[in-house]
Parts: sequence; structure tokens; C-alpha cells
Amino acid sequence: MKLEARELVCDYGATRAVDSVDLAAAGGSILAVFGPNGAGKTTLLRMLSGERKPDRGAVRLDGRPVSGSDPAWRSRVGLISHRTGLYRKLTVGENLAFFATLHGVAGQGAAAARALDGVGAGELEGKAVEQLSRGQRQRVALARSLVHDPDIVFLDEPFTGLDPGGAEALEAMLRACREAGKIVVLVTHDLRRGVELADRVAVLRRGRKVLDGSASEHGAQDLLRFFTAGGGAGGEGAAA
Amino acid sequence: MTSLRWVGVIAHKDLRIEFRAGGRVVAMIALAVLACFLFAFALDRSQVSAQHVAASLTWLTVLFAATAGAGRAFDTEEEDGAFRHLLLTPIPRHAIFLGKTAANLVLIWMVTLLTFIALTTFLGLRDPGSLTHHGAIFLPGTIGLAATGTFFGLVSRHSSLGDTILPALTFPLLVPVIFFGATASARVFMERPWPEISGSVRLLWAFAVGFTAVGSVLFRYVAEE
Amino acid sequence: METRNARLAGLILTTAGVAMILFVHWMVVFWVPTEAVQGIVQRIFYVHVPAAWTTFLAFGIVALASAAYLWLEDERADSAAVAAAEGGLIFGAIMLTSGPLWGRIAWGTYWTWEPRLTLTLLLWFTYLGYFLIRGSVADPRKGKRFAAVVAIVGSLNIPLIHVSVSWFRSLHPQAVVIKPEGPTLHPDMLVTLLTSLAGFTMLFLGLFFLRYSIELLSRRPRSGEMQRASEVLT
Repeated sequence: MKLEARELVCDYGATRAVDSVDLAAAGGSILAVFGPNGAGKTTLLRMLSGERKPDRGAVRLDGRPVSGSDPAWRSRVGLISHRTGLYRKLTVGENLAFFATLHGVAGQGAAAARALDGVGAGELEGKAVEQLSRGQRQRVALARSLVHDPDIVFLDEPFTGLDPGGAEALEAMLRACREAGKIVVLVTHDLRRGVELADRVAVLRRGRKVLDGSASEHGAQDLLRFFTAGGGAGGEGAAA
Repeated sequence: MTSLRWVGVIAHKDLRIEFRAGGRVVAMIALAVLACFLFAFALDRSQVSAQHVAASLTWLTVLFAATAGAGRAFDTEEEDGAFRHLLLTPIPRHAIFLGKTAANLVLIWMVTLLTFIALTTFLGLRDPGSLTHHGAIFLPGTIGLAATGTFFGLVSRHSSLGDTILPALTFPLLVPVIFFGATASARVFMERPWPEISGSVRLLWAFAVGFTAVGSVLFRYVAEE
Repeated sequence: METRNARLAGLILTTAGVAMILFVHWMVVFWVPTEAVQGIVQRIFYVHVPAAWTTFLAFGIVALASAAYLWLEDERADSAAVAAAEGGLIFGAIMLTSGPLWGRIAWGTYWTWEPRLTLTLLLWFTYLGYFLIRGSVADPRKGKRFAAVVAIVGSLNIPLIHVSVSWFRSLHPQAVVIKPEGPTLHPDMLVTLLTSLAGFTMLFLGLFFLRYSIELLSRRPRSGEMQRASEVLT
């Protein structure tokens, strides 16, 4: 399984948010895309997940073009972001069962319980989301994103607002996804956490990819150079 | 058929949230009933007979309450970003639109019923005419209101003008609903026979079915990025 | 269409349109005979009718271009829609001010529920909504889509609105009903009207093409390099 993006372009009016970015992510690996705020990371992620149609370029899964309007594609995608994406007035179990139903998961109650146990939040099932702490909500959100067992997992700044326990659960879950052969794509400005997890890293600055390489070659210090305006001024040339 | 099931799932989820939270329903009803209360004060009933104005007042009250409610129809979807995840489920876009419209419709029915009761009580209307006929007029009328409100409720969510833009977008469209609804209801209040009313009701259905269909087709353009 | 061609077409049509409208004003003031029943006020009609026609033409273009934009996501379609909508807003305003001015004298009242006048007012409000929503959404792509949707829904609603305003009118007695275009139109009046129609149409199309080319130019995305350069310069 391989997800490839070719020459992705996204414009917001006259501003080019993402400028001709190529990326590739393989099954059983974690790709982390770093960049300072406003580098176009989230826009890039939305194009990869099919939520936003690129102005130019294409995303392909195993050579076939990906489109957010294709239900088959959407059922294979899981999304985790810094916003929980849960309904506060519903209980944890109702939230999970709702999304499991819409994803066509058979036996949505059991699937919900399984997903909750997977993130160590089984005891929260009957509680309303609004009664939970921030960390607990994030765990439930994690369970919700995986309730339909997606093949491709996208993470949009997942570490924001996560407590240490939640971060551990997230990291464990991502490693499990890698073991299971899923494609994991992560965008974040949190270099330290991202580098530990990732197999491949890329850096985005002002909409352009300034670095793309394996995580073993590039440490956090190395990547940091590409964040700032001075380092990596050579653009693509500096990429290994 | 499966599509209909998704509509049910979404509507059920929305209504469950609405009745648990309560805020939006109560605010809509309060707006409607208080407006009726004020109308009773604003009317000089030695000059105007209640029977002549009841229909217009009912429709305008329902319109304002429905519009106020529609501006908040997507609040629960957006407060923690659930809508993004909803759009990533494989269900068709029109099912989301129809499900949310159905939930909105239930709230509008409650508002309509209470408005009707409040107005006839406050204005001292002893004989409001055939209730079946009133129902037959409000059914298509409120479907039209719910569909336009839900559709443009999402549009206005993304506008920096917020709820204030909603009437500017929906009121020009709703002229047929208000016109045919109010004239038909007025005739029921006057106890006119059904053949004098059925033409308006047919046009109300035309709007309701037409806008629901158009909204279903166009919803993906307002929901997707 | 290439922006350069559009600009050229715009310049030629605008110039010709302005010249023709000036000529029409000469015709209206010095040449065309005065209508027997309504008198001099009937001359407003040579501005009012062409403005109304242009408004409807503009709205037709907006609706078609908007549908094309949703379908193809082509910037040119949206540029055409905006250009036409701006024209429609202006010519609609002319129609809506000249109508009541004439109505005040011919009918004795500024506003009557004349179906076409009512329909135009509602269309004008739809244009207003079109620009309000377009300008108030942060993501330009969403703004364009929302505006397109408003235009499409508004145009699909025209038949129902038309039925409503016609019925509505039949419920209300009219003060004086004299159709602006009387049954017998003097040949000179017809010539003046047709000239005016041609002038207004050309002016509208000229402005449309000019606006369209400006809109396209303003949308050319600046690449990262150019943006950086402009940031350095400013």
C-alpha cells in the first residue's frame, strides 16, 4: 500500500498555501511532516485525506487517484486532530456507536467497546463527553477515529493539549498502526515527539517542501535548521 | 433505502442532543411565544380584527423563530470539530442535509404548534377554523422553512457576518412560502372551503419538494472544502 | 477567453455603449414624440426598460456561470459570474429607481406590486446576498461556492416567486393600471427603445468584459518567490 502525492498545489485566493509538494508514504510506516505555524501543513493534510481538492496535482493510493467524494476512500481513512470531533452532549458510547454506524461497522456497540478498550478508556463508555477531562476526551477521540479500523490514519497536530498519559496512548497506538501495516501521516510543529515516532520526515516551509528524508538521518536538531528562515535556504537542493 | 436509514441516524442524533441540551429549542419557543405576546399588545383590536391578522402573525413568528434556530443548527457539529469527521464517513452528503433538515423540522413543528396556541389564546380567537386544514398548510410550509434554514444555516456559519446574513439569504427565497402560507391560513381562519385553499397548498408543496431536492444536490458544495 | 481579448472587447463595447446611450438621450429629449396619455414622464421608459432587460440578462449569466463554476471549478466561470453580478446590481438599481419615479407620476404612487418590479427587487436582494456571502467568508474557494449556490437557488426560485407576485397582485386593487408599453407604440418610440436596448446591452457587456479581465488578473496566484519578494519590498 502506497500513498503518493504529486505536485500538490493549493491556493487561498492569491496566496499559494501549498506549492508543488511531492510526498510518499508507505504502508507500515509513519511519515511526519513538520513545519512552523502557517507553513501549509494542515492544508497539505486535508488534500492528502481528500477533504480538500487540490488546485493542481493529485494524490494516489497504489496508483489510483484519491477523491474525498468517493465513499470507498472515506471509509478507509481515519483522522485524529487536536479538536476532539465529539458531540459533547452525547455519551462516549453514543458518540462511538454513531460514527461506527455511519461507517457501516457491524455490531457497532461491540466495536465501540473494543475501540475504547484499545485506548484504555473502557470505563468511560457511559459518561457524557462534557464530563470528561481534556485528556480523556482525546483518548475517546482516538478510539472514535479507529472504530472502523481504517487503513490510512491522518493526524493533524495530535499532540496539542494532550496530557502525558494521552500522548503515551497515542504513541502506542501509532506504533500499533505501523505494526498492522497501516499508512500513518502526521503533521505537527512538535519536532521532538514527531521525530521519535517517524520513519520518514519532511519539512514544509511557506508551502514548499524543503526537506524529505528518513528519520534516522535527520535528528531534531538537524530538522530545526530547516524551520528557520536561514537554514535550508537552498530549498530542494538541501534535501537529502 | 439505506440513504433513508442514514437520514434517520443523523436526525436521531441531532434530536437527542437538542433535547438533552435544550437551549436552542427553548430559545426558539421563547422567541415565538413572546413575539405573540407582544403582538397582542401592539394590535389595536378595536380597529383590526384578530381573525384578519392571525395568519400573517403566525407565519412571520414561525419564520423568525425558525431563522433564529437555523443559525445555530450547526453549532453542535462545529463546537469540537465533529462535522469534519462526519464528512469523512462514507455516507452521502445529501443524507446529512436531509437528516439535519428532519431534526430542524421537528423543532419548527413544536414552535409552530406553540405559536398557534399562543396567538389564538392571546388574540382571543374562539374559532380558528379547521385544524386539519391548518395542519395541511403548515406541513409543506414548515418543510420549506426547515430545508432553507438548514442549508443556509451551514452557509452562514462560515461567514464572518454570522447569523445576521441568514435573513438576507433566505428571506428573498421564502417569499412564496410566506405568501402562499399566510394567504391559505388566512382563508382557514375565515372558514373558507378547501378548494379555495388547495391551490396555495400545492405551491407550498412545490417549494418544499423543490428546495429539498435542490438542497440535497447542492449540499456537498457548501459542506465540502 | 484571453484576458487581453476580453479587455479589448470590453473597451470597444463600453465606448460604443456609452456613445449610443448618449445618442439615445438626445433622441429621448429632442426627437421622439411625446406619448399622448402619460405625457412627458413616459420618456423614463427608455431608460427603465433597457435597464430591466440588462438586469435579467445579467442574472441569467450569473446563474449559468455559477452552475458552470460548481461543475467545472474553473476560475473563469466564477470571474464571469462576479463580473455579471456587479453589472446586474448596478443596472438593477437603475431599474428600481427609475420605475418608482415613473410610477409616482403615472400611477400616483412610488411603489406598486407590479410583478416584474417586485421580481426585480427580489433578484436585486439576491445579488446583494451574493456579494455579502462572497465577501464574508475567509476561504475564498468557499466564498465562491456559496455565492454560486445563492445565485443558482435564487434563479431556480424565479418561477415560484413569479407565481406569488402575480397572485399577490391580483389580490390587491391597483391605483391606475397603465402598462408602460401601451398597445400602440409609435414607430419612432420603437426605434428609440431599440436603440436604447442596444446601447444598454453593449454598455453592460463592455463593463462585463472589463471587469472579467480585471478579476482574472487579480486572481493569478503569486508564487512563494514573488510573495517573499513583495514581503521584502514592503
